[in-house]
Amino acid sequence: MDDGEPLPSYEGIAAAFAKAKAKKEQEEASGLRARTGDAAAANKQGEVHFKASHNILVAFFTWILLLHVLGIYLFTSGFLLTRLVLDEKSECDVLPFGTPESYKPGSSEKGCWHPKTFEKAIVIIVDALRYDFTIPFTPADTEKAHHFHNAIPILYETAAKQPNNAFLLPFIADPPTTTLQRLKGLTTGTLPTFIDAGSNFAGTAIDEDNLVAQLFNASKRIVHLGDDTWHALFPGYFEPNLTHAYDSFNVWDLHTLDNGVTEHLFPLLEPANTGKWDVIFGHYLGVDHAGHRYGPDHPAMTAKLQQMDGLIRKMIKQLSDDTLLVVMGDHGMDAKGDHGGESDDEIQAALWMYSKQKLFGRSAPAFNTPPATAKDRPVPQINLVPTLSLLLGMPIPFNNLGAPIEEAFIGAKGDNYQNLAVVNHLAASQLHRYQDAYAKARGFDEKTRASSLSLWTAASDKWKALSAAKKPTKAQFQAAYTAFSAYQTETLSLCRSLWARFDVPRMLNGVTILVLTLVILALYARSIESDRVELTPALLSRGGIGTVLGTLVGGGATFAFPSLAGEHIIVYSTGMGGVLGAATAFWYIRRRILSPIPNSVWGWTSLIFTVALSGGFAANSFTIWEDEILLYFLCTFGLLMMLSSFRQKNAIDRALGIYHSVLFIVLTRLASFSRLCREEQMPYCKSTYYASATSSTSASWQLYIPYAVAFLLPTFIRTYYKGTSSHQGSAVLWIDFALRFGLLLAAAYWTLDAADDGEWYPGYSEMLKSTKVIIAQITLAIAFAFGYSTFSWAKPLLSIESKSKGTTSAPVISNGGTSSITILGYANVHGSRYALLITIWALAVFLVEKPMGAGAIGIATWQIFSLFEIMDTNKLSDTSVGPVVLGLLGSFHYFKTGHQATLASIQWESAFIPLRTIKYPWSPVLVILNTFGAQILCAVAVPGLVLWKQPPKKKGLLGDVAKAVSTHMLFYAVINLATTMWAGHLRRHLMLYRIFNPRFMLGAAVMLVVDAVVVFVGLGGTRLSFLSVAEVFGWVEGLGRAKEGRFRASHL
Amino acid sequence: MSTAAPTKPRAPATPIDILSNDTAKLYTHIHPALVLSLYAYQFRSIVADPVPALLNTLLPLAALQIGYVAVCLPPTGSGTAAGVEKKRPGEKKKVVEGGIGGKIIPAFLSLVLSALVATPILTATLVLFGAPVTTHHFHTLLCGAHISLLSTLPLVYVHGVDGHTWREVVALLLPIDEVYGGMIGTVMGAWLGAVPIPLDWDREWQKWPVTIVTGAYIGFAVGKLVGGTLLKGKKIMFE
Repeated sequence: MDDGEPLPSYEGIAAAFAKAKAKKEQEEASGLRARTGDAAAANKQGEVHFKASHNILVAFFTWILLLHVLGIYLFTSGFLLTRLVLDEKSECDVLPFGTPESYKPGSSEKGCWHPKTFEKAIVIIVDALRYDFTIPFTPADTEKAHHFHNAIPILYETAAKQPNNAFLLPFIADPPTTTLQRLKGLTTGTLPTFIDAGSNFAGTAIDEDNLVAQLFNASKRIVHLGDDTWHALFPGYFEPNLTHAYDSFNVWDLHTLDNGVTEHLFPLLEPANTGKWDVIFGHYLGVDHAGHRYGPDHPAMTAKLQQMDGLIRKMIKQLSDDTLLVVMGDHGMDAKGDHGGESDDEIQAALWMYSKQKLFGRSAPAFNTPPATAKDRPVPQINLVPTLSLLLGMPIPFNNLGAPIEEAFIGAKGDNYQNLAVVNHLAASQLHRYQDAYAKARGFDEKTRASSLSLWTAASDKWKALSAAKKPTKAQFQAAYTAFSAYQTETLSLCRSLWARFDVPRMLNGVTILVLTLVILALYARSIESDRVELTPALLSRGGIGTVLGTLVGGGATFAFPSLAGEHIIVYSTGMGGVLGAATAFWYIRRRILSPIPNSVWGWTSLIFTVALSGGFAANSFTIWEDEILLYFLCTFGLLMMLSSFRQKNAIDRALGIYHSVLFIVLTRLASFSRLCREEQMPYCKSTYYASATSSTSASWQLYIPYAVAFLLPTFIRTYYKGTSSHQGSAVLWIDFALRFGLLLAAAYWTLDAADDGEWYPGYSEMLKSTKVIIAQITLAIAFAFGYSTFSWAKPLLSIESKSKGTTSAPVISNGGTSSITILGYANVHGSRYALLITIWALAVFLVEKPMGAGAIGIATWQIFSLFEIMDTNKLSDTSVGPVVLGLLGSFHYFKTGHQATLASIQWESAFIPLRTIKYPWSPVLVILNTFGAQILCAVAVPGLVLWKQPPKKKGLLGDVAKAVSTHMLFYAVINLATTMWAGHLRRHLMLYRIFNPRFMLGAAVMLVVDAVVVFVGLGGTRLSFLSVAEVFGWVEGLGRAKEGRFRASHL
Repeated sequence: MSTAAPTKPRAPATPIDILSNDTAKLYTHIHPALVLSLYAYQFRSIVADPVPALLNTLLPLAALQIGYVAVCLPPTGSGTAAGVEKKRPGEKKKVVEGGIGGKIIPAFLSLVLSALVATPILTATLVLFGAPVTTHHFHTLLCGAHISLLSTLPLVYVHGVDGHTWREVVALLLPIDEVYGGMIGTVMGAWLGAVPIPLDWDREWQKWPVTIVTGAYIGFAVGKLVGGTLLKGKKIMFE
């Protein structure tokens, strides 16, 4: 405070200020207040210094965020390969190569692009039918017969004895060899990737062109029996009366599903019933389940395969002449009977086709015997789609990458190269059309596909020559066939390299950046001895220079060697440059680096619990049950904090600490009743988040929860402010009125929403809709517009009380004359000021969570304040426990707000809470606020851990905030690194796409969101809060030695 | 709990020594083996049907524990309050003075207190840590009872019901000895016992509360051993 400026701070707080003014004069009179110009200049300097330090901190953490982005980008681009899904569909009467004039449009009656061979088809999938199960095995000295050998001989027998009726070939799956991904490949003819960009995230239904949809659109009646995965992929395509689906997840049950398929399949083969269907898809799971449960080398596998053998024999017997019978495995199994990866045993399935007519042939007599191993004459699984399409007279699906299978089209004599050339021309033309459309949509340049384009030109030339010739020779047909095959093979390998391969170097480089950034963050957060504010400039400048140099080097290398993958090199060298720069900075300040090994029970527990949680993500069970584990960990920390409170010598600290620790545990347990179970948790979990396990609307009793929070939460927060007499000034207006009103509006929103959903007032739907949207907008305006302006301009929550000398027993601040003054709220001036920001964000998150989640957010807010008290009474604000517990708390409430580590649990509808249509960027922001609301709230609270109950002039407070913030970032960085490494390491795991991959994506997304929030909201709020406090108390550095003895703060 | 008058300076707590007769010295090592054998013997039936089996095991466990404290430990008031009683003859004298009544009564008192006070508190803690609320009530209660008999009974026997001491017990401020080590070991064992529950091994023994009780028994034996030997006299430091 100085004379040069017009009494800056005290005007705002009405009542206290008159007194304050008088006091101020009195203080000045008694020489208590600095009045010299020196102090004014020093104070100004202090402010400039603070702002500069703060900017550097923000820049430093943004730089860490950048490194995180680079690391995740590199890993993701090598791991989550994406493919654009095109909407185009092939049509029956439009040929893929431009319709010649002479062409009469085909029909699904006779065959669309090519005359059809079969009227009907029975496609039997024997899940996990490995190729070597089907071929005869002669025991030798070197290897004895296993249980899976010679148990299903029918396929080989027919193919070898009646080569014109049947053929058996190795059927090579594209990894990932999981049933869902395989079914996609087997019906669309394309390669699977984790994210088919453009498809609907929330559902699994296939929306690109596929064989089932083509059959359906041609009014074929399709029957499905068995594995219910088909229904997730093709909802509504199957004949409802004849179709029977069974649960596919119970791998312990070997028979229910198989018996169900058999029971419903054979009646359909009776002559009386064959008119009811055109195509049957039967999917047996027993072999797969026997593999998962017992492994392939087990009597159960023999029994299962023999059962399949008998069934196929029975099918052959009942088969009509115009029906094609296909039996195949969708993937194999490894030695333990599991699958999902890309080892030989997992990808080598068997394909067998059978017909009563003599239609099939071989290009050489030696091929009449099926291949002895899966290495000979293998057929890629995508070849099934064009083969079946053409045999059944369907157009080839638009996205197909496969080629017609030679044996099915070469004719019984094995010399019909004309037919082969025609069907391959069709398939290749469709492929070419697709490639053109894809390149256009994705913006590929010609260079990437140069090799395949040149093969296309060569093949087209051959075809033109053939068409021009009056009587083309067999050799010409054969040449055309070979040329189109070459084109298809080349294009397929091109697509495979683009879509279906993990890019391990990229993944490793990404992980390297993440590991090194983690080391930097860990050293910064826990191993620096002195004030972080002093050391950050060195780290930032060297790290920044390193980053720029790295980019330049990477850019130079790309320029010098254009053949290298440019963006990969630039990203990697940028990241590594930054890390190296920071390493030199750490070397420079090496004397101030302490051992990173924890030296207290708090350091150890923070470390152990973070590492234990991260390690657990390597196991699918621990990943599935993360919500319960977090409950367990949080209660354990609550218990530890209670034990620590018992150790406190000061009786008040002890009682408060015990009370708040117990409260923290009880609230954690209370929140845990809000659950949304993931599929894998069944049947040990009961969802309570919605009205029932199968609904996504709240029960009516749940609508009371937000009201309860609206009435109680502001009152509870007030008690935390009252404890230090900080409940005054702007806090009264904000907490008691604005916050409560906002919470009530949010509660009203959910009531209106339920009224609208449940049609409580039919006819008023439109009115309800617009009212609720307006209410939501007002709530957000209260939070962000009103709340932030209050937070920005509020004075510190202080008032001054004067008493005549001698009468007071209250904390005496200064004895200037005949009276003493007491500054109410002094003890928690930083904390009370900053914590307003937490309540602002709590209100915003509260609105976007459903009623049950709103209750969880209310509890989370309460827990945050309890945690502040625990940190204060146990003197833990300097330790890592606070930021780590907030990390656990945020992760815990993520689950309690109706989320899981699955894509399906994203609540997309939250985009429409304050909006009626999708609006960028607001809709994604709202979904993020809904999804990561709990983590965001806890991240905002991190500076509060340090600031709660700190006297205004404590030195190095900004550095302490930086320490807490970096520790919080460190927690999420460890989780992210662990989930990233597990996902990369377990990329061949059966559960990759169901469990590890979603958890990795969650970990990465949370880390980036928390990084951004903690830096821009948390540190940003700290700046506003500090500026406001300093307006009253001046800057610590600026006041230097004069500050001693000015105030005697006592613990209010 | 903190009812002790703070004005009187108290002697710092000292680790509990087992009685210095040969029987005590021998039996203190036999006891954990007996407890573990009892549990191992009952394990199959506990896994098969936890409630009756745990209930049936409770009585033998209580008997074993009472036997242990009566044979091996100094009952409350027999020297701990007066500070370190280093002289062996003095200690022996007290024990002799106490006689059988002086041991059995505090032993039964500790049994009653463990059953009536510690069991509900521990059961509530189990529920707070995630034990089912709506089902498995007897499972959880019996689990709490077993933990309580293992951890609390000997502690009550040697420390009595002094509020100040119990505040120190909860605050982990007492020096470690085999009784205190047994308590800490039991609790940590029970805590670690939760780890295998979520694993998808589909084993019968993963059912509630078998792993927790198993962890508690093993933890008791380990804690008692380590507390009585390796860590004896050490204090737990938080900072």
